Amino acid sequence: MKKVRFTQIEGGQGFWALLAILGAVIAAGLGAVYYMEHNGHWVTGMNNQIVWGMPHVFAIFLIVAASGALNVASIGSVFGKSMYKPLAPLSGLLAITLLAGGLAVLVLDLGRPDRLIVAMTKYNFKSIFAWNVILYTGFMVIVGVYLWTMLDRSMKKFSGKVGFVAFLWRLILTTGTGSIFGFLVSRQAFDEAIMAPMFIVMSFSFGLAVFLLVLMAAYRMTERPLGDAVLFRLKNLLGVFVGGVLYFVLAYHLMNLYATEHHGVEAFILRDGGIFTTLFWVVQIGLGSLLPLALLYHPSTGKSRSMIGTAAALVIIGGFAQVYVIVIGGQAYPMTIFPGFEATSTFADGAINAYSPTLAEVLLGFAGVAITLAATAVALKLLRFLPESLGDEQVVAKQDATAAVKAAA
Amino acid sequence: MSEQKHPDNARREFLTQGAKLAAGVSLASGVMLYGVAQAKPADEAVTSKVRWGMLIDTNKCTSGCDACVKGCNDWNGLKGHGRPSTDAQWMRKVDLRNKATGSVHSLPMLCQHCENPPCVDVCPTGASFKRPDGIVLVDKHICIGCRYCMMACPYKARSFIHEEVTDQRPHAPRGKGTVEACTMCVTRVDEGQQPACVEACNADGHKAILFGDLNDPNSEIAQTVKTYATTAIRADLGLNPGVRYRGI
Amino acid sequence: MKRFTKLFHTAVLVLTMSAPVLAAAGGRVPMPQLPEAKGDQCVEDTDVMRRKHMDYLMVHRDKTMREGVRTPKHSLKECLECHASPQEEAAAGQDEGQHFCKSCHMYAGVKIDCFECHATKPEKTATFHPIVTPGMEYSKAAHQPAGELLNRLAGASEQTGATE
Repeated sequence: MKKVRFTQIEGGQGFWALLAILGAVIAAGLGAVYYMEHNGHWVTGMNNQIVWGMPHVFAIFLIVAASGALNVASIGSVFGKSMYKPLAPLSGLLAITLLAGGLAVLVLDLGRPDRLIVAMTKYNFKSIFAWNVILYTGFMVIVGVYLWTMLDRSMKKFSGKVGFVAFLWRLILTTGTGSIFGFLVSRQAFDEAIMAPMFIVMSFSFGLAVFLLVLMAAYRMTERPLGDAVLFRLKNLLGVFVGGVLYFVLAYHLMNLYATEHHGVEAFILRDGGIFTTLFWVVQIGLGSLLPLALLYHPSTGKSRSMIGTAAALVIIGGFAQVYVIVIGGQAYPMTIFPGFEATSTFADGAINAYSPTLAEVLLGFAGVAITLAATAVALKLLRFLPESLGDEQVVAKQDATAAVKAAA
Repeated sequence: MSEQKHPDNARREFLTQGAKLAAGVSLASGVMLYGVAQAKPADEAVTSKVRWGMLIDTNKCTSGCDACVKGCNDWNGLKGHGRPSTDAQWMRKVDLRNKATGSVHSLPMLCQHCENPPCVDVCPTGASFKRPDGIVLVDKHICIGCRYCMMACPYKARSFIHEEVTDQRPHAPRGKGTVEACTMCVTRVDEGQQPACVEACNADGHKAILFGDLNDPNSEIAQTVKTYATTAIRADLGLNPGVRYRGI
Repeated sequence: MKRFTKLFHTAVLVLTMSAPVLAAAGGRVPMPQLPEAKGDQCVEDTDVMRRKHMDYLMVHRDKTMREGVRTPKHSLKECLECHASPQEEAAAGQDEGQHFCKSCHMYAGVKIDCFECHATKPEKTATFHPIVTPGMEYSKAAHQPAGELLNRLAGASEQTGATE
């Protein structure tokens, strides 16, 4: 049986060039943060009506993807699929770095980011936000321990148990993220119990898409073999998850459409919302769900690496659109404070709220992505996260060996 | 000798009037002192024996009038920066038209000081809190500016401070990066006065806002809400706001 | 190499020992010019205040904020009554360099964010100002006949609106 050998990636010009580019993006984002914090948020597109904007869209996407990125490792250790086991360290690493990037964006957009210590020491335990602070930091610790059990030979025996704890933890974490919106009774777009499980399935889809892209990019850049066996298994799984998200989106909207009181907000998102309607149908459903499904499962495109990579990228773009429609679309639709009445006021009662993101907000969002990628690249260089080869002969041999062991038993 | 003196009417008159005057003066000053003394002592903590509330009679509100808003802005030092989308509004007038019947109404909308405030539930640090006497406030010392309470408020009562603030009123501290809302003029209420919006509305002659202790069965507001039909906005949410309305 | 290391260590030592002299000679941060406070004495002794003013303020702020206890003794608003000039008076001494709290904190290098939210100056109509009392505010309402005024203070009906 061919044993999987994990090695650090070699540095070289490409590595430093990548870090330089990512560093520049991070620097730009930090500059944007200084600008926003120094002047106050009036320089952004966020206001008293659209309270959470582009930074939150990026942050929520990254955080949701983070918990989903751990899926690959969980399938390996919790569900015992041996083919996924060599991918587990990268999966755990990506989970941590995606979360770090998302949290960085979230914290840097706070009105008082200097009070982060307050947020970490004073807790109102009825608030899901307070629970999330514990869930997010705890996730990093647990996945850190999980990585330790995977990389340190003496700790390997604990890998299964810690993996199980990590798996449960991330389910609770993603439920918590969905509940941020699900618990809001005030807004019709959010007050739905389905938000929690929908976010879980979204995490499966976004996390795996990011993992797939990072895997392909890492192996391309380091010229290591990535065989079809691994790749096709992952892309089929991605297709399943994309289908799962489609189901939940369908269920969410169908249920909303049945209740007359929600007809207003549904008409807004599905038909009259301008940018939101376009993002929903064209980007989220079309480009982000249906086209990737076609690309991933069609016999000819499903075998092409570039098509698989394209499909994963489209899922990510569709995911951003989905989070944008949820977070910002939900705020754009006027709050129904006076059901049955038309309202006007100096505070945009009854009016659809427009949002135009400013450059500073977008830079901050991209800085979060850059933090994730830079941290991943540095970790891959310092520690042995990547298998030297994920070629078919490596993986198939392992599967044969496992089958042989089973047959002998 | 049983000489019955005639009652000296003039003197009797004088004494009676004098007594009345004395009684009146002492009563009046007693009443005045009582009114002022109704404020709780400064060193006493507030308790849930009192629940401050407001009753707004929308029949007395007209569409163009915003005396209450001006009174609030003035007392709390809220200055506009010509940026209506980001300028703070603690109180606003809302004009309503019933889609089915066509009737029009106007009412002020402000923090409803709910008994079960969603903003308090969602605040991660506990900065958004409810005092025992029902007034919902933001502790700006620990507010991190996450704006989750703004997402959660069913009345859009809260504003985020989007720019640096200077020349604050000493009784209304406010600063960049924190969230704020109507405080029911808590510094005034603690001293036995009425909120600024109530005073402004009364000064303008409309008297549309009644302020008082909902827990005191003898208070005017408690008796009014007991006698007449009043509504809570978005009552189905079960928040039991301290601000109730008539005529809507 | 050994000689270089020795030289390096000597240089570090010399610089460290002479740092205070060098810094003072530069005279970067001026001594705070604290404006004269009004009144006879502070609510606590000066040496106690110097060590503990932050604790007093911290405890009192939560009592006021959460419990509505508005005793003046350790209130920030009350501090400013004596230690800062009201807004209406001349601006002299009110800029950052000469604000009682800010100038000392700037010298000590301890950042405070109290005045991000709190007013830096007292106001003539502030509650603790000796000139104005709540009762006086009522009396100021000159347009109101006395009878109505008394009714209002007693919390009686017509003045306070909404019932018909």
